[in-house]
Amino acid sequence: MRTVLFKFLSVLILISLALAACGPAATSAPAATSAPAATSAPAATSAPAATSVPAATSAPAATEAPTAVPSPTIPPPVQTGGEGCDPGATQITWYIGLGAGSNADVIPLETAWAEKYNKSQKEACVLLNIVYNDGGGGNSYNALRALIAGGNAPDIVGPVGKNGRASFQGAYADVAELAEAAGFDLSKYDPKLLDFTKDEGVLVGLPFALFPSFIFYNEALFDEAQLPYPPHKLGEQYDGKAWNLETLSELAMKLTVDANGNDATSPDFDPTKVTQFGFYDQWTDARGVASLFGGGIPYDEATGKAVISDSYKEAFKWYYEGVWTKHFMPNADYYNSDQFNKGNVFPSGNLAMARVHTWYTCCFDNSKMSWDIAVMPEINGQITAKLHGDTFAILKDSKHQDVAFKVLADMVVDPELAVIYGGMPAVEADRPAFFAAKDKAAAPNVIDWTVAAEMLNYPDLPNHEAWLPNLAEANSLLGAFRTTMDSTPDLDLDAEIAKLEADLQAAYDSAP
Amino acid sequence: MSVVTRTNLASAPSRPRISAHTRRQWTWGFLFLLPWIIGFFAFQLLPILFTFFLSFTDYTGAAEFKLGNFNFVGLQNYKSLFVELDALPSMGVTLKFALIGIPLGLVVPLMLAVLVNSRRLLFSNLFRTLFYLPSVIPVVAGAIIFNGVMNAQSGWLNLLLKAIGIAEPPRWFTDPTWAGFALNLLVVWGLGNSMIILLAGLQGVPTELYEAATVDGAGPITKFFYITVPMISPVIFYNLTIGVILAFQFFVPALLIGTFNGNPQGSLLFFPTVFYREGFVYSKMGYASVLAMVIFVVTMAATGLLFFFGQRLVYYASGETS
Repeated sequence: MRTVLFKFLSVLILISLALAACGPAATSAPAATSAPAATSAPAATSAPAATSVPAATSAPAATEAPTAVPSPTIPPPVQTGGEGCDPGATQITWYIGLGAGSNADVIPLETAWAEKYNKSQKEACVLLNIVYNDGGGGNSYNALRALIAGGNAPDIVGPVGKNGRASFQGAYADVAELAEAAGFDLSKYDPKLLDFTKDEGVLVGLPFALFPSFIFYNEALFDEAQLPYPPHKLGEQYDGKAWNLETLSELAMKLTVDANGNDATSPDFDPTKVTQFGFYDQWTDARGVASLFGGGIPYDEATGKAVISDSYKEAFKWYYEGVWTKHFMPNADYYNSDQFNKGNVFPSGNLAMARVHTWYTCCFDNSKMSWDIAVMPEINGQITAKLHGDTFAILKDSKHQDVAFKVLADMVVDPELAVIYGGMPAVEADRPAFFAAKDKAAAPNVIDWTVAAEMLNYPDLPNHEAWLPNLAEANSLLGAFRTTMDSTPDLDLDAEIAKLEADLQAAYDSAP
Repeated sequence: MSVVTRTNLASAPSRPRISAHTRRQWTWGFLFLLPWIIGFFAFQLLPILFTFFLSFTDYTGAAEFKLGNFNFVGLQNYKSLFVELDALPSMGVTLKFALIGIPLGLVVPLMLAVLVNSRRLLFSNLFRTLFYLPSVIPVVAGAIIFNGVMNAQSGWLNLLLKAIGIAEPPRWFTDPTWAGFALNLLVVWGLGNSMIILLAGLQGVPTELYEAATVDGAGPITKFFYITVPMISPVIFYNLTIGVILAFQFFVPALLIGTFNGNPQGSLLFFPTVFYREGFVYSKMGYASVLAMVIFVVTMAATGLLFFFGQRLVYYASGETS
């Protein structure tokens, strides 16, 4: 009896030791180690082009923006087992986590969609692998890397925008070849839309969802200041003035208020005690800021040189002046503060206007705030509404690319998925159902969605998320540049712009 | 000849005979160690060797890791170490952090340990708990809390500084001059573990030594430097070694607060952050492996130097020096 007990205890201890040996090293002391999980904005999606519109690329996740407020807990991955599948169906793994789709509220919708889809046909059996996207390119991105490196690559990934795809550059199959093999007619898509979904000339997906940008405004703050709401239609004037950059800036200053109740147009205004801001270009990087003044990229494809164009410089100067001289936009200290909701400024109730994309409806209580949307102002004789776009992509390492393409082709035209991800369907006929769902979520607010449809016609071309050599590194530099503008008073902006140009050139030169 | 042989055999040291009991103990000991040894090889040594291997390749993580999906690039990744913009400056950030953080990490917990060890302190258990409490808070949560506490506009630290008359308190995490130091404060906040270890050391100092010193007329300061410090020097040395190792690995709070760009203006761009960014954001696994090897070598060298020079200053009551 004693021998048995001794052996049992020995085995128990051996197992404990094995577990201890495999676990992370326990350290004490100061510092610390553990997983990162830096995030900034929630990982929204993004997307490009509109039907008749051109374009470039797109991508999700808010860029660098506010100084990250991470989630201390990361939800575990969710995997489905192929409920409703035909026994003979080919298993297709759909990986969600590079853009939208990994938040708890949409997971039940995704699993329900997969089950319904599996029952609807016999060829494919869709298995979901949903890994939480922390918005910082960590958790879900690393999980996908591990799957690929280990030879367990999923078949389909998405929804994913341009930036998300850039992290796995070269990992995607050419959808054009798969379409040709399947006899799928790509000519039904506007060629510009297809271009929008290409990375380095390779069609990595089919157009799916579009996310135009516009101005979200807080009606209560306008009412309080007794100011009229900004225009909902292009060509409309604002309070007797043309709706342009000057008018927007002036309006934003009137809506910026300090602790003593003075607005930013008052000589008594105290910029160190601001309690409410007029405008914020929320969750975008320096390219996004620059897109206010028109489309463009900091790269000359012909020469391979980094080029910060005049419109970029003009935009940066306007922006920097808005933050540090006219004070109608929050600096980093303000937008990271509790008072301004740690980066997600609009729902703080202390911001009058924010320029963001359609996907932003994900990120505040649509029915609690009194809000609506307005068109972008005219700047230098043109109107620009930067655009995001999402797609689903097939990995090169997928062992069933042909079946995966069939599933992908079904996904991009499924109106239910468009609603789940908050993207305007690329197919115009599907949009009324999409907006009806949005209205339901925003009630009792009545949102003028014609603004969103109208702004689709004014995308930034080239798109602010268009391909650049060494995109991940270039984006990092552009994100850091905006943060520098946000956090540094008395900056020699010309010198910083010149430094950005030089750094970008170095990044382009070291492109793999 | 036979005489010589006999003599040699006679003078040869006889090997101690290992008893069956001892052999059984060894076997069991080895068996108990085996899981750890397997775990060490599989999850620590192998990854280190694999990292070294990767450092000679251009693997990006975009394809399955197998021959044909990467190329051998010789020492190219090692050359990049001196060409890439951020590698060397980030080592400067790490060293600067270590130079401030390591002394702070020794002195502050020692002071706290002496305080909570004092018989004159009322409610010493309460203070021990309070000082230790931050150590049990996860790093991520701690970083979030500190980001809020040290916010230049709404953080209570600056509100406090303004209340006592400092009109323009530091912009902790947005001014590059202050950002690194602010992170040092975050580390000091979580020094409860070191304090507890030092407290255990303090409680192990024989009271007779203090009594004898008192008889000899020694004051509290003299006793502290001539009795307390030497007697707990092994514990201090342990804390110093761990502090050095962790300082070179420090990056999670910096990543959370300064993102992988080390905002503001690279002042929080620690060397391990660059490693993380190159590997897991830019997908340059080969180059990231070089950076990982650098962290490994620098940490090993620093620890080696510590043991070489530091051990001489450590007093071991048993007389052993290592």
